[in-house]
Amino acid sequence: MTLVHKAGAAAGHPAAAPRPRKSAMKRRERTVGFLAVLPALVVVVGFMLYPTLFALYISFTKTNGISFKWVGLNNYVQLLTDPLVHTVFINNLKFLVSIPLVIFLALIVSVLMFERIRGWKYFRVIFFLPNVLSAVVIGVMFKQLFGYYGVVNTIVVGLGGERIEFFTNGSLAIMVIILALVWSGFGYQALLLLSGLEAIDPAVYEAAALDGAGWWKRLWYITLPNIRRVLGFVFIINVLYTFSSLFGFVFVMTAGGPGYDTTTIDYLVYLKAFSTSNLGPGAALAVLLFVFIGILTVLQNRAFRIQED
Amino acid sequence: MTSLNSRVRWPIFLLLVLMAATIIYPLFFLVSSSLRTNSDYLNNPLGLPSSISFENFVVIWNTYGAGPAFLNSLYVVTIAMIITILLSTSAGYALAKLPVPGAKLITGSFVSVMLIPGQVLILPIYLMLSRLGLVGDFSGLIVVYVATSLPFAVFFLSVSFRAIPDELLEAIRLDGAGFFRTIRSLILPVGGSSIATLAVLQFLGMWNELLYAFILLPDDSKRLLTPALAQIGDRYLNQQPLVSAGLLLTASVPILLLVLASRYVMQGLAAGVSR
Repeated sequence: MTLVHKAGAAAGHPAAAPRPRKSAMKRRERTVGFLAVLPALVVVVGFMLYPTLFALYISFTKTNGISFKWVGLNNYVQLLTDPLVHTVFINNLKFLVSIPLVIFLALIVSVLMFERIRGWKYFRVIFFLPNVLSAVVIGVMFKQLFGYYGVVNTIVVGLGGERIEFFTNGSLAIMVIILALVWSGFGYQALLLLSGLEAIDPAVYEAAALDGAGWWKRLWYITLPNIRRVLGFVFIINVLYTFSSLFGFVFVMTAGGPGYDTTTIDYLVYLKAFSTSNLGPGAALAVLLFVFIGILTVLQNRAFRIQED
Repeated sequence: MTSLNSRVRWPIFLLLVLMAATIIYPLFFLVSSSLRTNSDYLNNPLGLPSSISFENFVVIWNTYGAGPAFLNSLYVVTIAMIITILLSTSAGYALAKLPVPGAKLITGSFVSVMLIPGQVLILPIYLMLSRLGLVGDFSGLIVVYVATSLPFAVFFLSVSFRAIPDELLEAIRLDGAGFFRTIRSLILPVGGSSIATLAVLQFLGMWNELLYAFILLPDDSKRLLTPALAQIGDRYLNQQPLVSAGLLLTASVPILLLVLASRYVMQGLAAGVSR
């Protein structure tokens, strides 16, 4: 591993020697400091910064990966006028339905957890559990649960219904993916909200209790307003998640189908980049997605900050 | 809100149990179905195993490639995690406590690339690695994992190392300690829990990663576990007990980490947000 080599060399000559003068020591400290950062810097510049610029370049070309022909904004113009991209973008918007569901459940759990009920430490670990699992594990699990011979269909048949083919119908497939999203997200977000609740000054509650405010009143007038910053943050990560992290779920559950009914932008990037001979449009779509996410983050940040003032 | 009387506490407890059950049940279902034969499962998918057998695990490990994939994952992820920790400890300490020229610029660029999604990087990285002949080679994926983990790792460690009191650093320096000894006998013991948190977070992230692992290791013989499971789940969906066994095998390492190192995982709770 050349990386390890560099790390070793970076700090190979510290200390020792008779104590030098102040400025020489300062200079040597700067050298040591720089050498200590260097390996990480080289790797990040080489395998993150450079590829990002490379992706930007590819997005302006027509290329098979070997020869590059500059086409200017052509790829972008084509993407923005492509009806498929529009359809897929609307698919992404459909997944936004998961956000109120996730936040609602997370709020319930966090408010309940805040009561420090017995065994709350175990509850914390349980609610955290889906967060350590891969989207692949969760996706395949839900595909199984909603499969033709899965648990859900067993219950449906038990209740006298017909087996439902969840994954041959676009809307049903999206619904199952949304359920998977909710399942995997609400526990973790409940813990985030809980940390917001714990930051509220207990004196506020004591004052409210003295005023005779009931539990519901306190929830509505004290608890919720006091955690709006965390709520805003949770909202933002959910939106980002909807636009950038559905790939794993879509990949294992539907492969974007039926047709393009469950294809999301991040999955379309993968399709365009790895199943066509022209890589330019795939790169352009990835850049567009990145820019879109960036703008969204800035706007949402601003919106929640304005509420703060 | 601790003033609640005990009359209200029971419903709250029960409601929490109910919510927790929605998380536990699917996992319980995986365990139960993985221990059954396919025909026993089809008889009554909701039932418990009529007899317990570990056959599915043996089959998935030996015949369906999950065994080698498990070992491949362990190998790649462990090495990538160790390199990430080494590089980010060194860089994090320097940025926190040493006069690094251009420190602001370096920190700034690390923070700004942190948000770049895999979809942007995968295509150029694939082209770069294939030019270097590293597509299909573990070392290519390891470098990519290290590179994509580093921005967050360096940022995280430099923030937590900043809390180490300067007097301690001054004392050990007067003692004649250089860079390496400072890291070994001061940074590691004092900042150990941050490093452990980071190690667990990175391990989980890499273990669960799909896109890079799937694209950069296209040969079946070198598959990592997460992409291998995606394929098993696709090809053998009608053999649910078998797929359940594969799911449990893949989930076993993260779950084990969560149970054994829950302190560190939980500490990473707030930090993991910035992923």
